[in-house]
Amino acid sequence: MSFNKIIVSLFFCLIYGCSYDPIYQKKHYIFGTLVDIKIYGEKEETAKNISNEIIEELNRLHQLLHPWNPGIINDINQAIANDKSIYINNNEIINIIHDASTLENNTKGIFNPAIGKLVNLWGFHSETLPTKLPSKEAINSLVTLKPSMNNISIKNNILKSRNNSVQIDLGGYGKGYALDQIKNILSVNDIPNALINIGGNILALGKRGSKTWVVAIQNPREPGVIAKIPLKPGWSIGTSGDYQKYLIDDEIRYSHLINPFTGLPSQGTQSAIVLTPPSVNSGTLSDVYSKPLFIAHKNKKFIVAKSLGLNYFLIIMEDNSIIISKDMMNEISWYQEPDAKNIITN
Amino acid sequence: MKLAGIKNLMQKILLLIKKFKSGDWLVMLLFISLIFFITKYYWEFPQGQYLKIEKNNEIIGTYSLNQKNTFIIDSLMGTSEIIIDNNRARFSKSPCKKQYCIHQGWIKKINQTIICLPNQISISVIGNKEQFDSINY
Amino acid sequence: MTQSTIKTNSNDHKIAKLAAIAVAISLVEFFLPSPIPGVKPGIANIIILYTIFKFDYQTGVWVSLIRVFITSIIIGTFLSPTFFLSLSGALCSLLIVLIFKNYNKKNFSLISISLLASLAHIVGQFIVVRVWIIPHDGILYLLPLFLISAFIFGIVNGIIVQKLITSKTK
Repeated sequence: MSFNKIIVSLFFCLIYGCSYDPIYQKKHYIFGTLVDIKIYGEKEETAKNISNEIIEELNRLHQLLHPWNPGIINDINQAIANDKSIYINNNEIINIIHDASTLENNTKGIFNPAIGKLVNLWGFHSETLPTKLPSKEAINSLVTLKPSMNNISIKNNILKSRNNSVQIDLGGYGKGYALDQIKNILSVNDIPNALINIGGNILALGKRGSKTWVVAIQNPREPGVIAKIPLKPGWSIGTSGDYQKYLIDDEIRYSHLINPFTGLPSQGTQSAIVLTPPSVNSGTLSDVYSKPLFIAHKNKKFIVAKSLGLNYFLIIMEDNSIIISKDMMNEISWYQEPDAKNIITN
Repeated sequence: MKLAGIKNLMQKILLLIKKFKSGDWLVMLLFISLIFFITKYYWEFPQGQYLKIEKNNEIIGTYSLNQKNTFIIDSLMGTSEIIIDNNRARFSKSPCKKQYCIHQGWIKKINQTIICLPNQISISVIGNKEQFDSINY
Repeated sequence: MTQSTIKTNSNDHKIAKLAAIAVAISLVEFFLPSPIPGVKPGIANIIILYTIFKFDYQTGVWVSLIRVFITSIIIGTFLSPTFFLSLSGALCSLLIVLIFKNYNKKNFSLISISLLASLAHIVGQFIVVRVWIIPHDGILYLLPLFLISAFIFGIVNGIIVQKLITSKTK
């Protein structure tokens, strides 16, 4: 009896093609950006349902975290600006504020979500790109006030800030946070293999069948990709760049990433890419930690990366030189191999 | 009279079935489950993204299914015409004799393939065109 | 000068007769339409199985191979891909029957053998198709169809052969 089965199944092992690749893909303009959901190895019905659930969650987070639209964040910012305290019912927001605070401290203030007023001053609080430079005086006045998430205290659900120049802007935090939330949704629903891309910030869960997910890295100056790297199960990748939101004045490009200490947009870097290993908040970290790597001075980039525990990062400088970690160098495949003399590694 | 004929047939079939030994039923069961399994395995494909057109086993092009377009291709026996529309594709004109390729109709799921053997042109639906799964930016 | 004559015995006559019938069936089968031109259900297997179980395995092998060769010569597909398809199907079928022909006659009848032979026949053909004629994974898409036809013909052939063996006392 079993002999039969062995023979029959042996026959068919020959025919089992390696072409089975069931991917459900859904692209959606949501959360203020393009979201690309890829789910591997689930029935179309299941994948569709989970995809809808993800989109609903992104809608919810978009409303919750929006930096300038009406919502909780806006209410909080108003209260702070008016030196008032505000009662917060929402535990999620409270946790986010604490988390953002922690991250500000981790990055020694380079990532500072309390500088909303500065960001607004530069005109990056609108759907369209700004065109005019703010005045030096305006910038300085905001910088000297030194807004920080540490100025905020929450006790018994009552939030108040001792610095009314604080304005919470979670722009550099939202996409990563959303990835972590989606990670939970997928985990709760038993979906082990997926690739989620929120505005370029990507989280890989599981694999594409037997193959590791592979992501490509955008060329910061031209359409096209310059390299690809495998994104192992649980890893995330995030980028800060000057090529999507920026201001051009007098032929100089000003990125939207403001250095909280100078009040000026960071210059000298085209894009900074980081990979973060699997953890509860790997998504958030991949988003947040790309900022200090972008803003830090060229000579300090390796130090900053080390202080944040980042082993995989790639930074493309304005002069096209490339700062890349050893580990990243081992994993990356270049489409356009850069000049060896342009590469700086540790 | 017809009823008697049907009854007769049924009796004959029953006689035949009685001839099946226990082992036969097992083999039949295994066979059927094999068919079921393979059908599920190979036919459960999601909608594809691109159409790969090959001539003489060389890829002439990979085109997004998300467009409305007609492709005219010079093939061994003449010109073939392939239409992409509404996320699916088909052969619309072919110089081959039997026109099997045209009769196959539309394909849209990943791995669905239509091959025009005499002309050596094939179209197949694939999922991913690129060597990577997503772009980080 | 001595004339050499080829003497044929009754065994050879048997083989020739059976092979002729098998070829005839194959020729008819050739004209049946099929989604993959060339891949056929193998109705001639009835003759092969009958030969194997009425006479002996070796005779069956002869009849099968003669069928493949003669049919292809008559149709004009000798040494063409179609020929190799046919040959592969026949060989795989013969191989499976060789393995199972003496297996547990108490619980399995000829119908099982026929089913397995039919399965092997289709698989043998598919392997040639996939590896050589149409090296596309997309072709496997059609496997379920052929498996179903293999199943049906396997049973039908099996019943017919069973009947032929048990009823003919010649």
